[in-house]
Amino acid sequence: MNVDSLRFRMTAIGVVVMCLFGALFARLWYLQVLQSNQFRVAAQQNGIRLVYSAAPRGRILDRKGRVIVDNRQVNVVTVDRLVAKKQPVLVNRVAALLGEHPEQVKLAIGDPRFSDLAPVPIAPADGDVITFVKEHAADFPGVDVEQQVVRTYPYGSLAAHLLGYVGEINDNELAVRKSEGYHLGDGIGKSGVELAYEPALRGEPGVTKLEVDSKGKVLGTLERLAPVQGHDLRLTIDLDTQILAEDSLAKGLAAARGQYDKQTGNSYSAPAGAVVIQDPRDGSVLGLASQPTYDPSQFVNGIPTDLFAQLTDPASNQPLTDRATSGLYAPGSTFKLVTATAALDRGLVTPGTPYYDKGYIQIGPQKFKNDGGNAYGTINLQRAITVSSDSYFYSLGAEFWQNGRSLAIQDTARLYGFGARTGIPIGGEQAGRVPDPTTRRKEYEQNPRAFVTNQWFTGDNVNLAIGQGDLVVTPLQLSNAYATFANGGTLYQPRVAVDTENQDGSKVADIPARAIRQVPLAPGDRAAMLAGFSGVVQDGDGTAHGAFAGFPFNQLSVAGKTGTAQVNGKEPTSVFVSWGPSNTPQYEVTVFEEQAGYGASASAPVARRILDGLTGKATPAPVYIPNAAVN
Amino acid sequence: MAVTTPPLGAGAGSASSRRFVGLVPWRNIDVGLVGALASIEGIGLLMVYAATRTKLQQQGLDPRFYLKRQLIFLALGAMLVVVTTVVDYRRWRDLAPVVYAGMCALLLLVVSPVGAKSKGHQAWFQLGSSFQLQPSEISKICLVLCLAAFASWSGRSGDRDESLGIGKLATLICLAGFPMALIMLQPDLGTDLVFASILFAVLVVGGAKGRHLMLLLVIGVVAVVAVLQVGVLKTYQVNRLTAFLDPAGDTRNVGYNLNESKITIGSGGLLGKGLFQGTQTNLSYVPEQHTDFVFTAVGEQLGFAGSALLLMLFGLLVWRVWRAAMLARDRAGTLICIGVLGLIVFQVFENVGMTMGIMPIAGIPLPFVSYGGSAILAYSVGIGLVLNVHMRRFS
Repeated sequence: MNVDSLRFRMTAIGVVVMCLFGALFARLWYLQVLQSNQFRVAAQQNGIRLVYSAAPRGRILDRKGRVIVDNRQVNVVTVDRLVAKKQPVLVNRVAALLGEHPEQVKLAIGDPRFSDLAPVPIAPADGDVITFVKEHAADFPGVDVEQQVVRTYPYGSLAAHLLGYVGEINDNELAVRKSEGYHLGDGIGKSGVELAYEPALRGEPGVTKLEVDSKGKVLGTLERLAPVQGHDLRLTIDLDTQILAEDSLAKGLAAARGQYDKQTGNSYSAPAGAVVIQDPRDGSVLGLASQPTYDPSQFVNGIPTDLFAQLTDPASNQPLTDRATSGLYAPGSTFKLVTATAALDRGLVTPGTPYYDKGYIQIGPQKFKNDGGNAYGTINLQRAITVSSDSYFYSLGAEFWQNGRSLAIQDTARLYGFGARTGIPIGGEQAGRVPDPTTRRKEYEQNPRAFVTNQWFTGDNVNLAIGQGDLVVTPLQLSNAYATFANGGTLYQPRVAVDTENQDGSKVADIPARAIRQVPLAPGDRAAMLAGFSGVVQDGDGTAHGAFAGFPFNQLSVAGKTGTAQVNGKEPTSVFVSWGPSNTPQYEVTVFEEQAGYGASASAPVARRILDGLTGKATPAPVYIPNAAVN
Repeated sequence: MAVTTPPLGAGAGSASSRRFVGLVPWRNIDVGLVGALASIEGIGLLMVYAATRTKLQQQGLDPRFYLKRQLIFLALGAMLVVVTTVVDYRRWRDLAPVVYAGMCALLLLVVSPVGAKSKGHQAWFQLGSSFQLQPSEISKICLVLCLAAFASWSGRSGDRDESLGIGKLATLICLAGFPMALIMLQPDLGTDLVFASILFAVLVVGGAKGRHLMLLLVIGVVAVVAVLQVGVLKTYQVNRLTAFLDPAGDTRNVGYNLNESKITIGSGGLLGKGLFQGTQTNLSYVPEQHTDFVFTAVGEQLGFAGSALLLMLFGLLVWRVWRAAMLARDRAGTLICIGVLGLIVFQVFENVGMTMGIMPIAGIPLPFVSYGGSAILAYSVGIGLVLNVHMRRFS
């Protein structure tokens, strides 16, 4: 074919045209057939926008239905972002109205947490501002007042650690809970029961399904679901008991503060403490106090960074820390519950086995003395508990280890729930530590400088027997262990909530008590121990007898145990555990006071005041008993 | 294929039948071409309506506003086809110098203060309150006529295999170059590319030498790159043209058109969402959907089936134009047809290609489908000329 011929040139043009059309067909096939699904999804997402409105959270009630955490409506000035975009002068007007800097208002309007389709909340406003906006509506196009629901605390900081607080969801929480329908800007329980029962309290956010065009202009509402308030949560806490616990603890610490310790020549600083009040019959927590405390209302509308730093600062004794569930303390003599149970259960002693207390025991070169060097002569188990003879329990600790390397004390401690989290639903709980040869070895391996040896010696078991050494427990663990003994041997998971309810009081779901296990103890053995614990408060030479002087035992027979835990470089921790009625217990009261001296001096009076209050008696402030030179 | 010299009719048939055919050229009208055109226009009309009805309704306007106007344009276009066809194309050819002068005058005028400015282009005359005349559209068809006329001018009549000498080649380039320069003042790179396509098609079929064409191609590419670099175009125009190379780069702004355009077409799938059922179309996700991006309305509502049908109709149309070029009785006729072919093929490929992300975004309408009076009238004249050449191939 002649390349100059028309025919050749026309054919060339024809081929080019066919190639071009072929390319169009190929691309069309790729987009509409091969990749169609992907584009279909994109098209569906294009036309619909969802706008969420937060649901009011459920209220939190005490066991009698009294409202402890409520909701309150606040008026918030809102600005329509699209209007503000068109009329920049609006920013300055709103700023002037609210007394804020225009840049700040601009930032608030542009806050990416809020959608273009709903008014953006700028700042809370009082009545004057609202009136002004309404009266000058023409000057404030797109500006409106919206009601928002926030938490309010009628009793201030009461039960702050237990209740926890609500804050704005952060990135980590959002990542975990995305599937549950949380969105940027949502409120969420951050700690305490607010966190533990978040699913019940949260409610269902309202959803408005809007059809929008390409410019984001709303064309219509496809569907609207109103928000549903969360369920009310009825706690096991009794408001009066909680007030009594917090008040007594605060006053007890105040009484201890500034007292002079003759032995060390120091004053007690008593900076912090905890109280746990439980119903031993099912593990319900009736009161839970931790000092120092904080005001959860500071978290409403977001807490300033400096304030949050202060609340978590060790120098201010970390008010955010719940010492009842996460404070770690040596239990001191209160741990004799465990040693006694182990010894009786393993048949190491019987209640009647006599023991001659000469004021100390000798283990190799080391002399383990009774506190204050007292010698109690011939005693049995009951009396050893009542007078808190260290020697008696030292000897048990020594015997367990020397006769067959028995870890019976550790095993019994774990049965009572030490060394593991109690399972109280509120978060941040500590597990504590029950030391044995294995933990010693592990800890030595991890940090050889902190430990003299990786071996477990008789002396370690001796120390453990009276609640010292590497042993640490939380106040809640100790309370739970004594509640277990008091109720006849059933260990419960501490329970903080009774049920969830609708706002009209009708029940939604029970939150039942949960028994974990039985701690075996023969009835005769238990009776002997109980007699010893009753003697602690009721006998003339009981360690806590002074603190309970004049207490109406005919109304409420109280049993208890003092503990004075030595802390390296600090004043001792004052510990007292008690329950009543001693044989059919309704209340278990545990008190810890840091750097406050003897259990009998500082904590026992606090417990006494609480028990006074529980029996309906007048409750003067607890008195520090400085002469209680017993542990 | 009936491709011979001399034309088919000349050798075959008796003298009487030849005269009969020649005297009544209407008997030789290309029904296939007219049918393809009418079908394309019908689909286009429906798509313009589908792409505008909801938006108009929301604004409280008559949803048939654009439908009615497009219908008027199509009717005027049909009349222009008839008018163009009635007069022998050789008479039109002889008017080429006048047409050329008029075209240049219009293009000069539109960049003067008389022209109206819209969206950064100085490309319209405002006629009354509701009509705009777009000279660049009209100039396309003027260029076809002028190039075909000049390229066939001094040639021996009927010798369609004549080759183009270097002098004539240069003249043709200059003839096209002057209006192209004027269009660059608007600025409108898309229309210049259409001009270039027309020129190139005419040069190829008109007999330009291979090496000359190669050189021209290279110069053309360099010129386009230079235009992009030198700053004749505004930044947003350059971005728009280059967005298809990296569509994910900027989905909120320049890439937005392209992204939504692809979503709209792709979501149509094999059979489409159905007429008036396109969510992307109804919710106005594609800007300029009744004009430059009208193909997205086809893709979403009619799917691959409908889009392919439309492309096949264009294929049919182009084939009939190509065939008319082959059958034409003289060089002017062939070159007129091939100019129109260059115009339509480039515009279809560029327009449909840009909506699918394989060509840069340029404001070029899809012939007979996109809404717009100037374009429809101009291309109708083009089709009229092709029909004219085809039916007078014996006389």
